[in-house]
Amino acid sequence: MSSIAFKPFTGLRRSSAVPCPNPTATLTKPVVKFHVSAAKRSPKLSNRNLRVAIIGGGPAGGSAAETLAKGGIETFLIERKLDNCKPCGGAIPLCMVGEFDLPLDIIDRRVTKMKMISPSNIAVDIGQTLKPHEYIGMVRREVLDAHLRDRAKENGANVINGLFLKMDMPKSWDEPYVLHYTEYDGKVGATGSKSTLEVDAVIGADGANSRVAKAINAGDYEYAIAFQERIKIPDDKMVYYENLAEMYVGDDVSPDFYGWVFPKCDHVAVGTGTVTHKSDIKKFQLATRNRAKDKILGGKIIRVEAHPIPEHPRPRRLSGRVALVGDAAGYVTKCSGEGIYFAAKSGRMCAEAIIEGSQNGKKMVDEGDLRKYLEKWDKTYWPTYKVLDVLQKVFYRSNPAREAFVEMCADEYVQKMTFDSYLYKTVAPGNPLDDLKLAVNTIGSLVRANALRKEMERLNV
Amino acid sequence: MSLSMASFSPPSTYFSVNPNFAHKSTAFLSLKRPFLLLSTPKSLPDNGAGVSASVAVVEDSKLNQEDPTLEKAVERSSGSNGLALSPEFEVFSKFEDPRWIGGTWDLKQFEQKGSIDWDAVIDAEVRRRKWLQDNPETTSNDDPVVFDTSIIPWWAWMKRFHLPEAELLNGRAAMIGFFMAYLVDSLTGVGVVDQMGNFFCKTLLFVAVSGVLLIRKNEDLDNIKKLIEETTFYDKQWQATWQDDTTSNNN
Repeated sequence: MSSIAFKPFTGLRRSSAVPCPNPTATLTKPVVKFHVSAAKRSPKLSNRNLRVAIIGGGPAGGSAAETLAKGGIETFLIERKLDNCKPCGGAIPLCMVGEFDLPLDIIDRRVTKMKMISPSNIAVDIGQTLKPHEYIGMVRREVLDAHLRDRAKENGANVINGLFLKMDMPKSWDEPYVLHYTEYDGKVGATGSKSTLEVDAVIGADGANSRVAKAINAGDYEYAIAFQERIKIPDDKMVYYENLAEMYVGDDVSPDFYGWVFPKCDHVAVGTGTVTHKSDIKKFQLATRNRAKDKILGGKIIRVEAHPIPEHPRPRRLSGRVALVGDAAGYVTKCSGEGIYFAAKSGRMCAEAIIEGSQNGKKMVDEGDLRKYLEKWDKTYWPTYKVLDVLQKVFYRSNPAREAFVEMCADEYVQKMTFDSYLYKTVAPGNPLDDLKLAVNTIGSLVRANALRKEMERLNV
Repeated sequence: MSLSMASFSPPSTYFSVNPNFAHKSTAFLSLKRPFLLLSTPKSLPDNGAGVSASVAVVEDSKLNQEDPTLEKAVERSSGSNGLALSPEFEVFSKFEDPRWIGGTWDLKQFEQKGSIDWDAVIDAEVRRRKWLQDNPETTSNDDPVVFDTSIIPWWAWMKRFHLPEAELLNGRAAMIGFFMAYLVDSLTGVGVVDQMGNFFCKTLLFVAVSGVLLIRKNEDLDNIKKLIEETTFYDKQWQATWQDDTTSNNN
């Protein structure tokens, strides 16, 4: 055993004489062998811990920083705006509260009822199958992000208020990445000072317009524009939205997504999104407001915001010792557009892979260690993403498909399956007989809705 | 009501500014829709951006197409002067039908000689959906829509939609089948009964039947190709990062 442990060690100190049993004639071969195996077996870092920088301090960055700091890695979290109110739906599944130990006071509202509204205004209530302790949490991003960052700081991460500019790639496996950033040092409105930071690995958690992704040529993705208006409505109207969220589907509201009314702490967020018709987003927003008109009458718009949402992962999520997580990697589901949980989870998973590959910060990591995070991620969540993709393709295609979708939502089995999958992030298998009945009902709904649409077209002519 | 009055003055400027809205009676119709849209942002006065966004929509809004259920509204407006519209535009855009009660179709009103005329129910629902597609309406808690198409029995759907198409497809299949049987017989001398025993002929039959079922219009060929590509596209996007692994061989 000792001889095996000896080999990589001598690889580091190639110059020193090795009491090798082989004759010197074969010295060249062993030297080459040592060199290769040393890199493969990530040599020990002498007198320092592994340094990792995380660009972006949202849910992905915050959870990655906390995990890394707890694992004994020297962590730097670079965030450009510590009080950023990221435009976001703000919905988190129940499992996130448990998995990330979120205190219950950062959840503004617990949504236990949802209303799905079809293009012809057929409204279906869902949520009757929820147990009393189950809910969808609505949070304010500025509160959640700050909480996760503070926790990371408590565990030993260095939180830096700065804007990442660019990064110099290392020329060999043991050279560091040099990050160039503008440090703001907590001053508001100041231009900041240029600084550099040398780290061994980088996690890009800087969102949909990731600069880290650009730096590693990760490639582009298609994205949706989500447009949202925060509207303060009168108190009597707010009672209706106490723990209810609404989803509007229809060609008027969005050709490939849905419009929503989500309750926030003391106001509602009314918004919509689209991938294919981004220039018509204002029209879609007006249509959404029109559909909810009676319920938000008398309201005052207090904020208008928009943000891109990735539709699928980037072609390259990893390069060298740089990995992307969260929105920067493109981990937003189709159909529901959910990203907060997946961002936080991917940040944590990537951090765990780094900790494992570096043995708690004692050894240098390499691309293979980071790839393990990608493997684990794809294996765990691929079914979820695929199922939601299929749902989007089938049910967001056209108005008849959306009518069928809303009709299907009235079914209790559908509601139970949907909420179980959403709240606990597992594709629940369910009863095969019920699944068959569901399939038959789905086909029936789709056929009926399409038949009605054909009649509608005939009416036009 | 005061809300509608508040939005009264600005719309008149739009009316005078836009030359397209000439003196047809349908022009009054299209004006009413923009007014409806304007009333929404007026209720949210604090944001200039919101109002200007709606202005853009007013300019872009299309003229309504002819629709039989729209005639009611046309009659109402044609009698009045274009600018004096305030009490009417609120009522106008809602879908109304004497048989639509409480957010669903009142089946008793569809009875003909004791039994329900399902075709008329389907017709009524089609018109309602067409109306709402062209004039999206606000949902309301006091007046929810609870109609479910599954209350119409399956045989009514079959009779109306499935049977005519089934007749068409069966006819096509029969014509193709007869012609192919004749052709094969003339080429190979194998009669109809013997053809059924041959594996190759059975395969041809399968291809013919599935072809008739799947390809009903010329566009279907492209649609099927697109569908097949669609089913694997998302998977390819996820696998992209792994293609990279084989090229950039680590260490």
